[in-house]
Amino acid sequence: MSAQDTTGAVLVNHWQRGVPVFREPVITRALLFFAALAALGLGLALVRFFSPLGPFSGMNDAYAWGIWKTFNVMTLTALGSGPLAVGMAAWVFNRQRLHKVMRTALVTGFLFYATGLLALGFDVGRAWNFWNILLPWRWNAHSAMLEVAVCMPLYCAIFLAFENLPLVLERFYYTGSEATRAALRRAAPFLRRIYPFVITGAYVLPLMHQSSLGGLLLLAGDKINPLWQTPFLPLLYLLAAGVAGLGFVTFVLLMACLHYSRPLDLEDLGELGNLLSWVCFVFLAVRFGDLIWRRQLGAAFALDRMSLLFLVETALILVPAVVLRSRAARETPRTLLNMATLACLGGTYYRFVPTTIAYAPGRYSTYFPALPEVLITLGYIALAVAAFGIVVKYFAVLPASIEEWNDMFRLAGRRPPAAP
Amino acid sequence: MSAPIDRRQFLRVVGFGGAATAAVASPAAALEHPAHPEAPPDAVGMLYDNTICTGCKACMPACNEANGLPPDTALSGGLWDTPLDLNEKTKNIIKLYQDPHGTGSAFVKRQCMHCLDPACVTGCPFGALEKNKWGAVTWDSSRCIGCRYCEVACPFQVPKFEWDRWNPKIVKCEFCFDQRLEKNQQPACCAVCPTGAVIFGKRADLLAKAKERIAVTPGKYFEDRVYGEHEAGGTQVLYLSHSSVPFDKIGLPKLGSTSLGHYATKVTSVIYKWLAGPLFIAALLGSVIKRKWDRHEAERHEREKRTGLPDQL
Repeated sequence: MSAQDTTGAVLVNHWQRGVPVFREPVITRALLFFAALAALGLGLALVRFFSPLGPFSGMNDAYAWGIWKTFNVMTLTALGSGPLAVGMAAWVFNRQRLHKVMRTALVTGFLFYATGLLALGFDVGRAWNFWNILLPWRWNAHSAMLEVAVCMPLYCAIFLAFENLPLVLERFYYTGSEATRAALRRAAPFLRRIYPFVITGAYVLPLMHQSSLGGLLLLAGDKINPLWQTPFLPLLYLLAAGVAGLGFVTFVLLMACLHYSRPLDLEDLGELGNLLSWVCFVFLAVRFGDLIWRRQLGAAFALDRMSLLFLVETALILVPAVVLRSRAARETPRTLLNMATLACLGGTYYRFVPTTIAYAPGRYSTYFPALPEVLITLGYIALAVAAFGIVVKYFAVLPASIEEWNDMFRLAGRRPPAAP
Repeated sequence: MSAPIDRRQFLRVVGFGGAATAAVASPAAALEHPAHPEAPPDAVGMLYDNTICTGCKACMPACNEANGLPPDTALSGGLWDTPLDLNEKTKNIIKLYQDPHGTGSAFVKRQCMHCLDPACVTGCPFGALEKNKWGAVTWDSSRCIGCRYCEVACPFQVPKFEWDRWNPKIVKCEFCFDQRLEKNQQPACCAVCPTGAVIFGKRADLLAKAKERIAVTPGKYFEDRVYGEHEAGGTQVLYLSHSSVPFDKIGLPKLGSTSLGHYATKVTSVIYKWLAGPLFIAALLGSVIKRKWDRHEAERHEREKRTGLPDQL
């Protein structure tokens, strides 16, 4: 498929800009399903707020953290680290073609962070004491928990929200009145002036809290199996965020484009696959370097339960690292999708295992999430999925060609407005 | 292709940030959480000797009374206080250990160890748990958000959470701080103990006394050493155990002598001292991003004119 753009250049399915999914209805059966699941989960979470934690969860004094913290916050925000990983690649390491997929990363990242913070809010037992966050002299600067509690909401509410702002303003610009357009034209230079400074913050903050999530586990000391307990936990947590973040952006782009019948730009996707492979290799290098340094390599290959857990983790990250070195593989949609899925699983697996499965606090305690706990966790995820399904239809998130952009306006019976 | 980041400029940023980090951070880290903290001279403590304890459990109701705790009657059908372990109604417990094969048997008293550098205090985000006067580790309800990081951090599994209350508290031995220490009284468990199995005093004195007991009767005590002198950086509650009863059998885990706070913060406290590390990264990334941004803006105007389409961020 090829088309002529306004300059006369020939384009072959190249992603050029974000375009809303406009050929499909907003409300679908799948959306209703996820919305219902989200309503159930959030309803339960609300009831939980007015009830003790005990009846709603399988947590106990030995396993004091359940899946709301260990999965929704510590694991799923790794998938939500796309804005960090893709943004760093695009702005810092000059991978210009990745600017086009940035919006997909930003929206998924925002949804994972927002639902993760929601999970955190309903997980803590004394949420009303959060006002202490306004009194910096009460902050315990040595606590990784403080770093996470301050840094994550700040990032999500200010920096990530600001990065998502152009999406929203753009829609107002195209659908609003002439007065709205004039106001936005006046505001644009200011937003563009502060933009580079804000996105600097948007990369520094997640570097801090994604590593601090691993830092949380340092204090647990011997409770965590030595294959995972290491002074390198913060760095490895950060690298796992890179693995899962890049993997998930690739996964979402492929799945969404297949679902909404959008052509793929295999060069852009291949670039993502290329970076993903390198980040996987860096992760593995640090992981194995650390095991050798701490003399745990024997335990890693002892083929007992913990060793098998470790080997599965390594395989999940090693396979995409190796396979995606081949350009042919990463420009084959099916292979890329499979490898991105493995990387997502591997990154989140690494983040989840030391919090729960390789965490052995007491001889007589076990933890398995209770049904309401699972439903609430699924509710947060369903909320993110449903919101994504709506957002891509109203806002110019998913990348497409300029032809698609022009078609959208033609279908609405309007001329695409010119640049300001 | 790339806007070449001028190497000299790069080095200037790196050099400046690095120097600032080094100047600010290096001495600070070790001071806040030393690997092997020194007990302050006024640190109080308890010494528990299970060769003296008769298991009368007088300390348990005394603790409940001093701390206003309800009896835990779950196992006794509502009749009497029969906790299985430390829990949200029990800050102090006497347990019996019997070796299933050998002859060893001993009581053990469990309560907060009041570490010299407590992991719970290091982790607590808003300082609800703090190292108070005389080294007592106390809890402040107005600062606690109920995150339960203290439970994850404590190597002795001491802090407990009220899972069945809407307004949950963290329950742990606070050395009877408000109830008795502040009134110049010793903790209720030590005051009531009829045999002197648990005694109260300055940590330094108790440590000397424990070593004296070991010296007088070598071989009587397990490994001829005091548990808590060095464990996890040292604790203010000290234990002596009968030679046939290893510490880890009575719930006192094998731990290194480095404080967990030191292990967890030795790197981050350098990076985060006065936010030097994050500011350095911000300066570094910011200078690169600003350069790329300026070029993006220059190209944008040209591209918008050419395609007639507004730039997307």
